[in-house]
Amino acid sequence: MLAVAAALVSCQEWQPVFTGTYPSPQDYEKVTLEPTMTLGELAAMYQHGSPITFDYEQDIIVGGKISSSDETGNFYKSFYIQDETGGMEIKMGKTSLYADYKEGQMIYVKLPGLTVGEYGFKVLKNYDDGPSGGSGMVQIGYVYEYLPGTEPEYETSYLDAQVLINEHIIRGEIGEKVEPVVLEEQDLPSRTATLADCPAIGKLVTIKGLTYGNEIFTLAYVNSNDNHKNSSNRIFLSDQTYGVTTWAMSKNKFIENLDKGLFDAVNIGNAGDYNYGTVADPENKESIRTTATAATVSQYFKKGNTDVIIRTSGYAKFADAEIPKAVLEGKATVDVTGVMTLYQGDIQIVVNRLSDIVVNE
Amino acid sequence: MSRKLTLALAAFLCSLSLLAQEYTGGVKGTVVNRADREPVAGATLTLYQGAVVVATAQADEAGNFLIENLQDGLYDLVLEAPEFLQTRVNVTVVDGYVKNMFKLSMSQAKMSSQEDADDLAEFDPDGGGYNDNPTVLFGQNDVFSNIAGYNFSSVRFRVRGLANESQEVYLAGVKMNDALTGYGPFSLWSGLNEATRTKMSTSGAESSDYAVGGVNGVTNIPGTASYVRKGLRGSVLTNSALYRLRLMLSYGSGPLDNGWSYAFNVSTRLGGNDWIRGVYYRSFAYYGSVEKKFDDTHKLSAIFMAAPGQRGAQMAATQEVYDLMGDNLYNPNWGYQNGRVRNARVRKTHEPIAVLKYDYTPTERFSASATLLYRFGKNGYTALDWNDAADPKPDYYRNLPSYFQFDNEDLQRYSEIKAAWVDDSWRVMRDPSITQINWDRLYNVNRNNRDAYGKARSKYIQEERRVDQRDLNFAASLKWRPKDWFTMNAGFNARINRTENYKIVADLLGGDYYLNTNNFAERDFASLEARYQYDLDYYFANGKAQVLSVGDKYGYDYLAQIRNYGLWANGRFAVGRFSATLAGKLGYTRFWRDGLMRNGLFAGTWPSGGEIIDPASGTNLTSYDAKTGEPISSYGKSRKVNFLTYALKANAEYLIGGHSRIYANVAYLTDAPSFNKSFISPRTRNTLMNGLTTSKTFSTDLNYQLSTGGFNVRATLYYTTINDQSDVMSVYDDLQNAFTNFALTNIDQRNMGVELGFKVPTGLSGLSLQGVLAWGEYIYTSTPRLTQTVDNSSNIVLEDEIVPYWKSHPVYMTNEEGRYWLDEQGNYIFDHHQKHYIPGTPQLAASLGLAWNHNYWFLELNGDYFSNSYLAMNPLFRMDVVSAGADGVVTPDEVDYMAAQEKFAPCFLLNASVGKSWYIQRKYQLGFSLNMKNLLNNKNVKTGGFEQNRIVDNTQDEVRFYKFDPKYFYMSGFNYMLNIYFRF
Repeated sequence: MLAVAAALVSCQEWQPVFTGTYPSPQDYEKVTLEPTMTLGELAAMYQHGSPITFDYEQDIIVGGKISSSDETGNFYKSFYIQDETGGMEIKMGKTSLYADYKEGQMIYVKLPGLTVGEYGFKVLKNYDDGPSGGSGMVQIGYVYEYLPGTEPEYETSYLDAQVLINEHIIRGEIGEKVEPVVLEEQDLPSRTATLADCPAIGKLVTIKGLTYGNEIFTLAYVNSNDNHKNSSNRIFLSDQTYGVTTWAMSKNKFIENLDKGLFDAVNIGNAGDYNYGTVADPENKESIRTTATAATVSQYFKKGNTDVIIRTSGYAKFADAEIPKAVLEGKATVDVTGVMTLYQGDIQIVVNRLSDIVVNE
Repeated sequence: MSRKLTLALAAFLCSLSLLAQEYTGGVKGTVVNRADREPVAGATLTLYQGAVVVATAQADEAGNFLIENLQDGLYDLVLEAPEFLQTRVNVTVVDGYVKNMFKLSMSQAKMSSQEDADDLAEFDPDGGGYNDNPTVLFGQNDVFSNIAGYNFSSVRFRVRGLANESQEVYLAGVKMNDALTGYGPFSLWSGLNEATRTKMSTSGAESSDYAVGGVNGVTNIPGTASYVRKGLRGSVLTNSALYRLRLMLSYGSGPLDNGWSYAFNVSTRLGGNDWIRGVYYRSFAYYGSVEKKFDDTHKLSAIFMAAPGQRGAQMAATQEVYDLMGDNLYNPNWGYQNGRVRNARVRKTHEPIAVLKYDYTPTERFSASATLLYRFGKNGYTALDWNDAADPKPDYYRNLPSYFQFDNEDLQRYSEIKAAWVDDSWRVMRDPSITQINWDRLYNVNRNNRDAYGKARSKYIQEERRVDQRDLNFAASLKWRPKDWFTMNAGFNARINRTENYKIVADLLGGDYYLNTNNFAERDFASLEARYQYDLDYYFANGKAQVLSVGDKYGYDYLAQIRNYGLWANGRFAVGRFSATLAGKLGYTRFWRDGLMRNGLFAGTWPSGGEIIDPASGTNLTSYDAKTGEPISSYGKSRKVNFLTYALKANAEYLIGGHSRIYANVAYLTDAPSFNKSFISPRTRNTLMNGLTTSKTFSTDLNYQLSTGGFNVRATLYYTTINDQSDVMSVYDDLQNAFTNFALTNIDQRNMGVELGFKVPTGLSGLSLQGVLAWGEYIYTSTPRLTQTVDNSSNIVLEDEIVPYWKSHPVYMTNEEGRYWLDEQGNYIFDHHQKHYIPGTPQLAASLGLAWNHNYWFLELNGDYFSNSYLAMNPLFRMDVVSAGADGVVTPDEVDYMAAQEKFAPCFLLNASVGKSWYIQRKYQLGFSLNMKNLLNNKNVKTGGFEQNRIVDNTQDEVRFYKFDPKYFYMSGFNYMLNIYFRF
């Protein structure tokens, strides 16, 4: 009987559960597909305010190399791909994407069933202090569903579901990382540019010799759990630096700055609706502190006469890294490499990692 | 059967020392099985005169016994044998003759149930609080425990609603309940059914010869060679609910002429089952014992045994997932790796027990014994761990349709199309890379995560949580019967337990290494490397986090140091038909935590007492407890806590006629809190709970028992309160990627009810009617206090807050549509307090059945009914902070939604068993038993579950919060167990 037992124990196929040593799984299959359309052509199909959902008869495939990584937390739930004609964000909806999607990896997107829409578009207007508004970014995502009778907040939603990702986002060969395009001032996009005008939009770019602009932009909230749309809940930190000397603010950093009184004088509310007191009001301050979250910061720079914003998430691991003093004092310039996007016509650079910002001493 | 052997085995009889005179009267007979008239070897016979024990004897191999030297008179003879129900008969000795009782028959206890009922599918302990102990111990002589033990185990019925810890289990006189948790120790010898077959049990608050015990029975397994049934036995067993195959072999020599006895038992349990994928056994067991009787006075015995092996575990899921899979026994713990089923959660154990026992029996009236017992080895439990990566669990809430679409608009989930796709991927496509763990992906992610040196840093690993005990026990006891009317037992016991708790890297899943850092803390303290070190001392010494290979300790490492000492005694007095027992014990418990790995979040101080400053950043890493002002430390020794405990018990018994008795118990006892329920976050820090104190138990019961001629009845009324209990529930919080700990103090409960068990002849030949009823009310009676911590964070989430809706919640008056009535002032009108119940057991359980025995056949059919089962409560949902919701206003509606406790639907089950044995040439025996459970194939019976720790707070109206769905365990559908056995 012991012999029988020994035989059974050693039997590798003792089903239904295998209990031996598991052989290492194969590498996943890296697919090669033939794109039927460039990203530039895809972007050209889009018109402001009219997201396109492709139906299943339209056999459209686009392809591109991944240029971004969410490893440091500066990108979140999405990555950018680029081909010769431009770059585009794929709204994946999963975190830690860099585990499965590598910088330099070829990605094919089967568009039937997906939606192409724009984020960050605002009609360009010229004010006394200069123009405001302009192009946003055309993105690939899923149809944005919303409650009937309400206004949709976005034109696309995240893919989110693994079944949709499996269906639409096909992983190809992992190649060398994307080489950034070096842009001079004249290469920078206009406020209303599209991929057709400027193929560098959405791509990994390098802009050299940026000087500090002494201006930040951040939106914080009196109670971050309440509706972010209410004017009474919004705190705009804009037009000056407020003494913020980091690329962004983690929750702890934000509270530290708040407690230092850096934001005390800021009025609460949208521009022209300053009816809710200031940050310094004890009741406001207590609410801001207890519900504080990490704050994303736009640090303004100049390339010649053009504004270039380095925008960093408060959730990035390097959020609280100090901008070197020489840069803040205008004694040094920076070279930045990151994905170039337009938000309401503003040029925003989002870096993959802190080492993508090089200080020229 | 040789006369010599008969004599050797035959019982001794006690001389009546009060009288110098010898009597010629006596009683003799043969004990037989009522069903097949086969002798019952080794039956114990106790002769009473009223309540006074006059003599004891043991039947020989042929079932024969003889008690001599009896005065003329009326006696009660009580027959007891393992696997048989107790029987009482009247004996009259007249004119100095030896009265021949001829055949005395005993009813067999459930023979079919004995085989493997102590094996239940292993439930995942995260959150469920389950363990794999039998829920009812087989009190073999007790009709209630016997029937309930078999029929109720599948729904996890607990006797009197009391926790598993309340059942005291002894091996060779040593208490074996786990030193850290108090849990029953059955998994230490599962698969050694023959070696541990003989048990002596008491129920309720009764005291025993081995210990004073608690309020839920005492069971002693002698376990030494002479208690293993004589002869060579083998069995082959297959069943459909646990594992495919069990092979078992045992041999008992019985006492040999030269004074030696020896025995062994080996077994293996292998394979999966029909119901729960991923659950499997690869278990073995071995046992050996020798015993030497030097003369009639001295006996030395030794045991060595263990049950090494692996078992795949099951995890609960939400009803949504069960419905998507069309299977209430869906198990999210497994996935395919290269096409093979692999379970992420495997229990791996090898914990041997070594016993040395000395028995001293100088006279018939005095005996003593001493036991030295050592338990050691490893106890591991694997799970997935990950660092900065997506949750790999297939049933993670973001992977389910309900995350995308919900009917309640307040939850703002409108993605109907996505929900339909997700629903389809589960319900129709059944793509195992979505519905189960995707091992292939985990390997790919790990292999592709290359660092600057080209080495693959694993993002996902399999960890093994280890609880390795070194448990040294000493117990000594004596039994003394100076007078016929007085017997006393007394003893001393000591326990030194050192348990190392830690985890190791069990499998790098294709990667080259893992780092000993705290991913969650890294998010909070990205710029302060020292803070997110699991091993700060290593980091200081080496300037970087430890690079981990397979087998390396990481995460946490601490010793539980526990010392127990006890002294106890009980005395039984008998006068006429009345007897009483008084018992008492004194105990001393001391324990402390000794941290071996310094966590960057809880650095403590240097041994000198100096604060720990991070040299890299200059940050002071030492933090202090706001209340006590003591440094919060993961390293070194905690404060040592001491508890003095005691117990007092009294029992009174009155015999009615020769066949029945009435008896009552009353007990008051205090118990030290268990180690695992004393620290707010034992894995990470030395901080003890506030207000730690002994629990206080009061219990009383009143019983009637009848046992004679095939009639066995026991009826009991009981009332028990347990106050000042503490508890620590650890729930995995996927939001924080860490365990969150709910440390509760001041928990009181009250358990009261009735128990009835009977087995009676129907008048038809061989056919008996049997049944049990267990009907109680087990409720919480206090408002506990809660401290909530997260392992990966230094923040104390909640500190010593009251949990107002723990024992009950208020219900206000509503109309038919559920609208609340308001009084003239606009206030809600109070209706009643809805009680909350002790979960995890039906509070009403009943069984009725027929048993038929004839010519070595047995046949049984039982119908069971279970009701009043409740879901375990998450204390957070019983607090105003959660009921209030985003607007901070508590309304009756919100409280009712959050705090109400789920009651499971009642259920009816049908079980049957059949068996037969054959004697071959009167030397060999071959037999089989077939148990069929849940004949109606009811797949909708919830046996337990727990509430998740999450709430939805992102709502449209910003008024209230919503609970995440609870997770449930279900019972298997129809399942069978076939056992074929043979004896030489």
